[in-house]
Amino acid sequence: MKMFTTIVESPKQIVKRDGTLVPFDYFKIRQAIAKANANVPSETLSDEELDRLTAEVVSHLDVNSNPGVEDIQDIVELTLMENGSSQTAKVYILYRAERAKVRKQKNALMETFKRLSFTEASATDMKRENANIDGNTAMGMMLKYGSEASKSFIDHYVLPEDMAKAHAQGDIHIHDKDFYLLTETCCQIDLQSLFRGGFSTGHGFLREPQSIESYAALACIALQANQNEMHGGQSIPNFENVMAEGVQKTCRKHLRDLLEESQLFGDNGLGEEELERLLTFDYEDLVASLAKRGNEATERREHALLELVQKRVQRSTYQAMQSFIHNLNTMHSRAGAQVPFTSINYGTGTSHAARLVMRELLRATEDGLGNGETPIFPVQIFKVKDGINSKAGDPNYDLFKQAIHVSARRLFPNFSFLDAPFNLQYYRADDDNTEVAYMGCRTRVMGNIYDPNREVTKGRGNLSFTSINLPRLGIEARGSIDTFFSLLDKRMDLVFRQLRHRFEIQKRKLVLNYPFLMGQGIWLDSNTLERNEEIERVLRHGTLSIGFIGLAETLVALTGKHHGESEASQELGLQIVSHMRKRCDERAREEELNYTLLATPAEGLSGRFVKLDQERYGVMENITNHEYYTNSFHIPVYYKVSAYEKIALEAPYHTLTNAGHITYIELDGDPSMNLSVFEDLILYMKDAGIGYGSINHPLDRDPKCGYTGVIGTSCPQCGRKESKQEPFERIRRITGYLVGTLERFNDAKRAEVGERVKHA
Amino acid sequence: MLDYWERRAKLLRRKPDQNAETAELGEEVRLASLVEESIVDGPGLRFVLFTQGCPHRCPGCHNPHTHLLAGGRLYSLEWILSLYDKQLACQGITFSGGEPFLQGGPLAKIAQAVHERGGDVITYTGYRLERLQELAKEDDGISALLAETDLLIDGPFIQERRSLETPFVGSSNQRLLALSIKGEQALEQIDQFNEFR
Repeated sequence: MKMFTTIVESPKQIVKRDGTLVPFDYFKIRQAIAKANANVPSETLSDEELDRLTAEVVSHLDVNSNPGVEDIQDIVELTLMENGSSQTAKVYILYRAERAKVRKQKNALMETFKRLSFTEASATDMKRENANIDGNTAMGMMLKYGSEASKSFIDHYVLPEDMAKAHAQGDIHIHDKDFYLLTETCCQIDLQSLFRGGFSTGHGFLREPQSIESYAALACIALQANQNEMHGGQSIPNFENVMAEGVQKTCRKHLRDLLEESQLFGDNGLGEEELERLLTFDYEDLVASLAKRGNEATERREHALLELVQKRVQRSTYQAMQSFIHNLNTMHSRAGAQVPFTSINYGTGTSHAARLVMRELLRATEDGLGNGETPIFPVQIFKVKDGINSKAGDPNYDLFKQAIHVSARRLFPNFSFLDAPFNLQYYRADDDNTEVAYMGCRTRVMGNIYDPNREVTKGRGNLSFTSINLPRLGIEARGSIDTFFSLLDKRMDLVFRQLRHRFEIQKRKLVLNYPFLMGQGIWLDSNTLERNEEIERVLRHGTLSIGFIGLAETLVALTGKHHGESEASQELGLQIVSHMRKRCDERAREEELNYTLLATPAEGLSGRFVKLDQERYGVMENITNHEYYTNSFHIPVYYKVSAYEKIALEAPYHTLTNAGHITYIELDGDPSMNLSVFEDLILYMKDAGIGYGSINHPLDRDPKCGYTGVIGTSCPQCGRKESKQEPFERIRRITGYLVGTLERFNDAKRAEVGERVKHA
Repeated sequence: MLDYWERRAKLLRRKPDQNAETAELGEEVRLASLVEESIVDGPGLRFVLFTQGCPHRCPGCHNPHTHLLAGGRLYSLEWILSLYDKQLACQGITFSGGEPFLQGGPLAKIAQAVHERGGDVITYTGYRLERLQELAKEDDGISALLAETDLLIDGPFIQERRSLETPFVGSSNQRLLALSIKGEQALEQIDQFNEFR
């Protein structure tokens, strides 16, 4: 650089924004002017002019004091304008404003901390009885600080500007943004291979479990350990078949014990040969043997003995299932701030042991927790399959009926449908790895463009997902369908880039960042990686999903009517969602990455989008006038439609949303007395091509007398009125999970529950 | 036992029926209200008419607003059936109230039309069946509705014997009585989940 020609006296030091003193630097001022000028071709300043302007700025400074940064910048602005560089001044001012905004946002984090710390604390004082709400505990608060700090860091230093902006203004929603740099969403855990030979949680080694009780206990530990390494839910895809292995071991154990005991108390009348034979029995042999009945004295004795063993196995299994449910509702993850989000899938196992597991699990679910409360976890998903459990004569039809009975009383299990064509295409009998399993919230992972030979359930999950604010596009299209689609394409391009951006971060992680998920081989093929290896190769088995919210409001914005009101709107709705799916499939082929389309579970998001859109566009009838946007492709909850129509209208969207979907039916009244309606609805879902569904009904409980059912203002059993001191418990379902009281719903969701119209 | 598939097949066979006989029903019935899809008024999904007017006036009645004979509103039978025909998923109709047998004549006509469409008919009453059979000798409406009822849920509501355990009844003195094969099927439908209860 040429030496500057004009020398003026300058201050020795200046005051930075944080109050510290630094030496005065002439070049910094010159550089700032040059940078602003570089963007204004019409006013290009020569080096000499730059020097002269800088000197003029400095000459305005008081050499005997320490000027502040802002003072200097004010003078730069004035000097530029006075010297005819008005465009350069404009760029300089804009840049300054932009920086000020960023600084303000960084301070916003501290403001958030303030709000978190002080409002929550006062809320705790006001209602001490709710002090166990997670956010009010020390660990819950610590988690919130961490989460808010992480979000702020991601926004300002990690996300490209256009993506951060799109999220901030509500064009899109990047889910679990606080975990952007850390981990993936969820996983279907293959417990059978984990248990084989034992495993380590990273804190200690556990031997291979040897009884149904240990199987159930270690299942909880595995779910918890994995939950601590991922930001979404954890699921077991084939619960009954895993637990059946434990039943077999317990059966052998009880058999051995009983034979020993009976010999201790005298001759059990069994010869060496019988003893040898009996000691090889597992539960299948035992049930088969009990089905035959001989008349010989030894046969009768053997029969009595086996009956006793069966009773003990059954009792052990019930105990194991009961403690499994209790554990999952009481154990903690994430620094003690929450209960792990857990799901289990079952329904198709036909061995006697698997059937025993399901029967006892359903019984334990029906019996509830310690005081008879409805268990919130795990989310239970009963897999319905023709030929196995959907019809009288099928081997597990009795369990299907029991599942209906329990669901009518406890809201779980939900039901998934393996005969829906998009699930059936993967299904092979006798291989539970080909049965599509869902996460409780609705996530579904099956197809695999990266490795078509691995279109399996176990060891896979979603990597991340981002949702599009569909109603906003509908509003901005101003009634033009073509405009809508071109806006949609642009928005999808942005989300594709953002998902890829996140994936590029995720894939660089090492196995050692996930000591359990990858270190113990839970994630598909992760056992083929070294401890220090990057995980990209195996991560590609997972999915990157684009979600959407508010198809109903979008259709109202475009046509005036939603898809429950008009056939034309339904057609357009299907056209929109088909288009989104097509784009995902194309992108997946191009990048050999599993881009999939998700019917977003809308917790938190349903209110955020609509609030932002109300501010932007005002209140628009049936678009922005509710406190929430309708969940994914659902018919609006406030719209009256029969249960069967709702199922028929929503079913085609299940085919299109390969990353997950759920349809709900709201029943008015206690369905436990009318289970044939429940069964009809579930089977109608199956016939209609629904992939995953569940039936909501009011589930209230009087903690005083224990009555469970529908309760108005007074309890039908003991007659007492609801009081502030002793309110009734009211359990409702939100985004697939049960929530204990309405208090813990966010405002938008609470409003949505209030407006739900019952379908029958 | 009538399983889901048979019931479903029946539902699918049931088509909106615009035959001449229905069109001639020039009568009206006095109702307190009408519910198109109910899960709490008999087995299966049901179309329910709550008739207006009741002589029993049981203490603790769930629907005291249905007692007055002059209350409610008149509905034409055609209109009720046209609504029923839109509810393809309903298994049948339930007459509740109020005391349905006060309007046995017009209700029997609706019941007949529902039968023609393949549905079943459940009638609640505060009378005991034996009393109704006596009354039927003098009253054509009562005898007509009895003849068209598949499942009768009879007896007054007695507050001291209030029951939450038995499906579809208010107090334990009330009985579920099958008056036809369809009525027996409805009872089986209720019982099929008993093993878990």
